[in-house]
Amino acid sequence: MTASVLLQPAPPAAASLREELRANRTSTLTRLYQRTFPMVRRHVLERGGTTQDAKDVFQDALVVFYEKTVGGSLVLTCSPSTYLVGVCRHLWQQELSRRNRLPLSDLNEAHEQFPDSAEAPAAEPAPALAVLEYISKLGEKCQRILLSFYYFQQPLEQIAAENSYGTVRSATVQKFKCLERLRKAVRQAVAFTSAH
Amino acid sequence: MRPELEHLQRLEHHLLGHPTPTETIQWQVQLQQDPVLAADAELQQHLYHGILLAGRQQLRQELEEIHTQLYRPRRTWLRHAVARLHQALRWPTRSARR
Repeated sequence: MTASVLLQPAPPAAASLREELRANRTSTLTRLYQRTFPMVRRHVLERGGTTQDAKDVFQDALVVFYEKTVGGSLVLTCSPSTYLVGVCRHLWQQELSRRNRLPLSDLNEAHEQFPDSAEAPAAEPAPALAVLEYISKLGEKCQRILLSFYYFQQPLEQIAAENSYGTVRSATVQKFKCLERLRKAVRQAVAFTSAH
Repeated sequence: MRPELEHLQRLEHHLLGHPTPTETIQWQVQLQQDPVLAADAELQQHLYHGILLAGRQQLRQELEEIHTQLYRPRRTWLRHAVARLHQALRWPTRSARR
């Protein structure tokens, strides 16, 4: 074993990466992006793709990586960059095979947001798509609270501080008020649709 | 918290939380016996799924912003504008003057 290998820092555990992503998403993702994207781009360019292809593949992988990490289901046995490059290589290989079969279709039509076909849903259910529309009509604060808590899984303490709530309890109550508002909007829309 | 909000909290506990095995069994029985509660729970699931899609959209937007910030073209508009100006005025370029 060489000295350089011995001196390399141990790969950060998924748990600590999870905390970094939850607490400081933009800077953690920027660091990961800056470290990893050049390697993915080189790989894709050397294998017949474009920079745009590399970006699409990388961002798809990063979305799933984010969800798995904050969801606590990611097991990292190497550095996050190595893991992501591996996923992107696999994704690009899949995409090349697909293009050979269907030469005229687009990358995004093929695998949407999921690199792992085992996890890919066939299509989003219509009610969820309708909810998506109503979320965009909520106030900015409610949108931010709901996404921060349910998707980005930020700690409630942080959500409370960022939205100027004195206590975690106030932030929790506000979160349920926002959810209630969304429920009412969706319910009214469903009632309106079934009445007409 | 208002009773309506407590109801949402209870739904959330069963749908996203970590109910005990006993709670899960009781919940399944309640869902079978109470169609209103079952419909409520179903709607709540749709909300969570919609929030997941909205979150994904926002994350993609943030990744685009990070990409642009890291790899934006550096003042190409200025270079192009100067080149066009040179061409329009037919100024000799540095290489032509030599």
